Amino acid sequence: MPPVIEKKACTACGVCVSICPQDVFWGSERKQIPVVSYPEECWHCNACVLDCPVEGAIRLRIPFPAQICYK
Amino acid sequence: MIEEIIEADVLIVGGGIAGLMAAIRAGELGTRVVVAEKANTMRSGAGATGNDHFMCYIPEYHGPDIEPWIDQSPMIQEKGNIRSRQYVCTLLKKSFDIVKLWDSWGIPMKPTGKWECTGHTIPGFPNLATLKYAGQNQKPILTREARNRGVEIINRVTVFDLLQDKSGVCGAIGTGTREEKVIIFKAKSVVLTTGICTRLYPGPTPSWMFNMADPPSTTGEGRAMAYRAGAELVNMEMPRRWAGPKYFARCGKGTWIGVVRDSEDKPVGPYVTKPDRRYGDVIGDQYASLFEERMREGRGPIYMDCRGISEEDYAYMMWGLANEGNTATINHLNEEGIDIRKNSLEFMTYELSTRGGILFNENGETSLKGLYAAGDEYFGGVGGAAIVGWFAGDNAARHAGDSKHTITDGVAEQIEEKKALLKKIRNQEIGATWQEISAALTQVMHDYAGLVRSESLLQAGLSHLLRLKKKAYKEIIAKNQHELMHCLEVLNSFDVGHLVFVSSLERKETREDYIRADYPFKNRQYDNKVVICRKVNGQPHTEWRQMR
Repeated sequence: MPPVIEKKACTACGVCVSICPQDVFWGSERKQIPVVSYPEECWHCNACVLDCPVEGAIRLRIPFPAQICYK
Repeated sequence: MIEEIIEADVLIVGGGIAGLMAAIRAGELGTRVVVAEKANTMRSGAGATGNDHFMCYIPEYHGPDIEPWIDQSPMIQEKGNIRSRQYVCTLLKKSFDIVKLWDSWGIPMKPTGKWECTGHTIPGFPNLATLKYAGQNQKPILTREARNRGVEIINRVTVFDLLQDKSGVCGAIGTGTREEKVIIFKAKSVVLTTGICTRLYPGPTPSWMFNMADPPSTTGEGRAMAYRAGAELVNMEMPRRWAGPKYFARCGKGTWIGVVRDSEDKPVGPYVTKPDRRYGDVIGDQYASLFEERMREGRGPIYMDCRGISEEDYAYMMWGLANEGNTATINHLNEEGIDIRKNSLEFMTYELSTRGGILFNENGETSLKGLYAAGDEYFGGVGGAAIVGWFAGDNAARHAGDSKHTITDGVAEQIEEKKALLKKIRNQEIGATWQEISAALTQVMHDYAGLVRSESLLQAGLSHLLRLKKKAYKEIIAKNQHELMHCLEVLNSFDVGHLVFVSSLERKETREDYIRADYPFKNRQYDNKVVICRKVNGQPHTEWRQMR
């Protein structure tokens, strides 16, 4: 479910919790690794990935219904 | 719930592009400005991680004479006669100043070193909507500029109704989306900038509700609040649809550099036969329902075919997608091994919404004294949001400066009534979740005020919608503040849906993609006119008005 946090890399800085437009991290505690309380409300704007200070600590997993069709 | 009272000269509801520009200007004029933002202005609204193109007139690029450009503006040519010439003229005349301001603040408006208008363009027919700029970090920059001017930004509060006394709008009421608190805003001027109206109709993947072309955090609450306060709304019946990659819903088709082709590789539109950064393929703009119609007729799918793109244009397109907020789309393509230089992407027509909104003029003034609006409260686009947002802030600040308004009778009762609603939603143990009620609302919108409308469908749908609304107010429940935010969004959406139905009943004609099965022709008597809707004796009342 999007987003996915790499717990070993996450520094619990809280940036993603602070900026998420959908507040999918609702209920996260300060200085704790964020919890993804509402993954189904993610719009995949990628703000959390763009603003995360540690590359690879957070990524989005695109859900099955949103997979792009192509040929 | 604890209660907090915040006083300001200017209250701005929604800290997107328009809201922050209004805040910046009002702050500059020395007024006490508060921005109430549902999320965090650093990354909120339709410009959270970038935007497509900035509509503007640049004398050194477009030539010294502005007049012909006014009539070529997409706002003049758009569906349903949406704007007066005066509005477009004022906006375009101011646009270059705003572009230069943004550039000076660090939003690169000519990132390639020169003014560049590409995409959304018919060959031989340049338009104004296409300044390519690098907007990925526009929101943190605008937030910084607002704070530098003394603006107070209150994040994570959802404003759900306006307060008004005998003299007019005098504030608003909101609740924390995290903290259990009620916030009463008292203000001399209120600017509504809550953005696009999403989640009124089912999205492209209804079972995955938040997969929408536009950000699902913006749900048209400004329209509902303005209506209840007595302001005029305009063209609420006119549909708005975009197209883009199937099924990863995302606006931004003007950035794709390719050719829209059918499954036999034949170009669908007349404009381009090979990828060209100057144009994109504008058939997707002009005929956004194309993708859906071809599927329904068994003649789909339809593809965005970027094969044959030059490496230079490919890099330019990827840069463009990243700067209009589509970095997740790029990551998805990479992760799935989809290479648009080799693979054609299927495109689809996205969800319905309303093209209409709050009627505001080039000064950001609505029909109510002290109430202003800008941006996607009614067809803003990033350029329109930035420019009219600035004007709205300017005028709201001047109004606040002149105002002798002191809040009088009736406001306390309004506040108590709203607090009681919040309490009921939070405390009721058995009832319906917001998701359940939202599903009911979107299905009635889809089935009765959808692609094809008629008197009988609209009347039946409206009756059902009003029954649902009444029941929703009784039964909706939230177990926390996040759910409460969504409950309030859905309840506001009922009013927006109501206005869509009532305005559709008024427009007895077929015009562009607004289709009435019982009036399958364009009524020329309605040319240059708009449908106005406002509350009269507690009910929506519609009338036609000359727009230009």
